[in-house]
Amino acid sequence: MAYLVTFHWGWLLASLLLGFAMGWIAVVQRGQGVSRQASRWLSVLAASLVIAALTRVIPGRPGYWLDLGLLMFALYLVGCALGSWLRDWAVSRPAPAP
Amino acid sequence: MHGLFRWSSKWWPGTIPLLVFWVIAAWTNTAPVESDLAARSAAALSDTVLDKRRIAVEGRDVTFAADAFSEDGRRGAVAAVAAVPGVRLVNDETRLVPEAKPFVWSAERDVVRVTLGGSSPLPASKNRLMEAARADLGGVEVVDQMNLARGAPPRFDDAALLALDQIAKLKDGKITISDTSISLAGMARELGGREAIAAALKNLPEGFSIATNEIKAPPYVFQAYKDPVAVTLTLTGYVPDDRVHAALVAAAGRKFFNEKVVDNLKASIGAPSGFSAAVLPALGALSRLSTGTLVVSDREVKLSGDAFYDAAAVAIRVGFGKDFPQGWQFKADIAVRPAAAPVDDTVCQQLFSDLLAKGTIRFESGRTTIDPDSVGLLDRLIEIALRCPTANIEIAGHTDSDGEDGFNQALSEKRAQAVIDYLVKAGLPASRFTATGYGSTQPIATNDTDEGKAQNRRIEFMVR
Repeated sequence: MAYLVTFHWGWLLASLLLGFAMGWIAVVQRGQGVSRQASRWLSVLAASLVIAALTRVIPGRPGYWLDLGLLMFALYLVGCALGSWLRDWAVSRPAPAP
Repeated sequence: MHGLFRWSSKWWPGTIPLLVFWVIAAWTNTAPVESDLAARSAAALSDTVLDKRRIAVEGRDVTFAADAFSEDGRRGAVAAVAAVPGVRLVNDETRLVPEAKPFVWSAERDVVRVTLGGSSPLPASKNRLMEAARADLGGVEVVDQMNLARGAPPRFDDAALLALDQIAKLKDGKITISDTSISLAGMARELGGREAIAAALKNLPEGFSIATNEIKAPPYVFQAYKDPVAVTLTLTGYVPDDRVHAALVAAAGRKFFNEKVVDNLKASIGAPSGFSAAVLPALGALSRLSTGTLVVSDREVKLSGDAFYDAAAVAIRVGFGKDFPQGWQFKADIAVRPAAAPVDDTVCQQLFSDLLAKGTIRFESGRTTIDPDSVGLLDRLIEIALRCPTANIEIAGHTDSDGEDGFNQALSEKRAQAVIDYLVKAGLPASRFTATGYGSTQPIATNDTDEGKAQNRRIEFMVR
C-alpha cells in the first residue's frame, strides 16, 4: 500500500482533486442521481472488487491494475465526500449582512 | 450524514474521467513498477548465494526461480523477495541444487590445457579453484567444466586446492577427488616430482585419503661410458645427493685406475631405492671391460661392452646383478674383444711393469682378500699373461715396514698366492706362476711417509 502510494502519488492526488471537484458540484447539481437499486448493485460490485484485491486472487498485471484502480477510486470517494461537505457548509452558512 | 448519501448519488459523472486517469496511469506505470520491483528484488538477494537466478515481474507479482545450495538458503531467499516493499505475490520456482553422490571433482592436464570437471559445491569455491588453477599454472589454458552440486565433503576446497598444486607438477595426468578419496595418475614434470607430490599429499585436509597414487616420474638415468681411446670414464645423469655423488666418484677413481673420471653428474631426488647398492657393483663390472657403457634407468641396469678375454666375459655375465638389491632388473650384453697378438717375454715384462706402475692390486687391510676394486686391473694383467703363453711368471708380494717382519713375510707370500689363485681361476695354468713373499725387505720408496708405504705395499709380476 505504502509502495503504491509513494509510486503513484501524482495520480492519486489527481483522483482526490477530481473527487473534490465532483463533490463540490454534486451539492448544487440538479440532475438525476443514481437510483437506490443501482447504487446498491454498485456497492456490491465495489465490495466484491475490494475482496478480490485483498485476497489477491487476480494474478499479474490485472491484479496490479485492480489495486491501482481501487486506490484511485477510494481517494476519489474521499475527495467527493470532502468536496460535498465543504460546499454544503459554505452554502448553508448565513449570508453576510448586505 | 444523510446529505452525504444524497449527494453521493450524483458523484458518478466524475468516474468517467477517473476511469480515463486509471487507464492512463496503468498504461504508463506498469513497466516502471515492474522494473523497479525487479531491481529491488535483485538487491534483496545480493547477499544470498544462488545459481541460475531468474527474476520476472508481472505487475507486482514476482516469479523467482533459482537453484539454492541449502534448504535454509532457499527459504531465506524466497522470504527476502517476499519482504521487498511493493511485492504482492512471490511465485516460488526455486529448487535445491542437485546433490552429487558420490561427489566427484577432477582436474585433468594434457599438453596444452588443464580441465577442471565434475562438481563444485558453491559458485565462490568454483571461482576460487579457477583462480588458483590460473595462478598455479601460469600461462596454461584452464577450462572450466565444473557443475554445481550439493554433497561436498567438509574441507573440500582445501583438498581441491592441494590437488591443483599437484597438477602443476605434472606433465600430464589426472587427479580425481571422489567424496573423500583422492586418486592420482600421470607423469611428473620433473625428476623428483613424484616424491614432491607424495610429500605434499601428507598434508591432506582431515578426513581425506589417497585411494590410488599412480604418478610416474621420468626415468632416473645414470650412465657411465668407458672410452679406451680417450682413456676416460664419463659419468652422466643423476645421483641422489652429494654424499652418494662423492662416494661414486671416489669408487670410480679406485676401480678405473687408468682412466680419467669425467664427472657430469647432477644431484636430484627421485632415485630408486638401493641406487648406490646397484650402481657400485655395476661400475665394478664396467671396470672389467676394455670399452663399455653402463646405463641405469630407474631399476633397470644395462651393461654392454667388450671383455678382455673369454673367461672374463663369462664371469661378468654370471656375476652381473648378483649383488643388486631386490627388484632390480639387469642385462649384460658382453662380447670379447679380439685377442691381441702374442708378444715375447721381454715385451710382456714391459707391459706388466707399465700397467702396475699405473695401478696397484689392493687387498683388504692386513688380509689376503683381493679388494673387488682391483678386478679391472687383474683382468688386464691376465690379458697380458695370455699374450705370452710360454713365459713363467713370478708373482712377488711386498709389504711396508709396519708390523713384525715374520707377519709381513707371511702376508706378502699369501697375497702373492691369492693373486695366483685368481689367475688360475681365470683359466691360466698354475704351473706358469710362482708366488714369492719378500715382506718389507725390498722397499721402492721410503717407509717414513704414508705415500711411501702405500708404494711399498705392492704385487709385482716378474717374467723369468
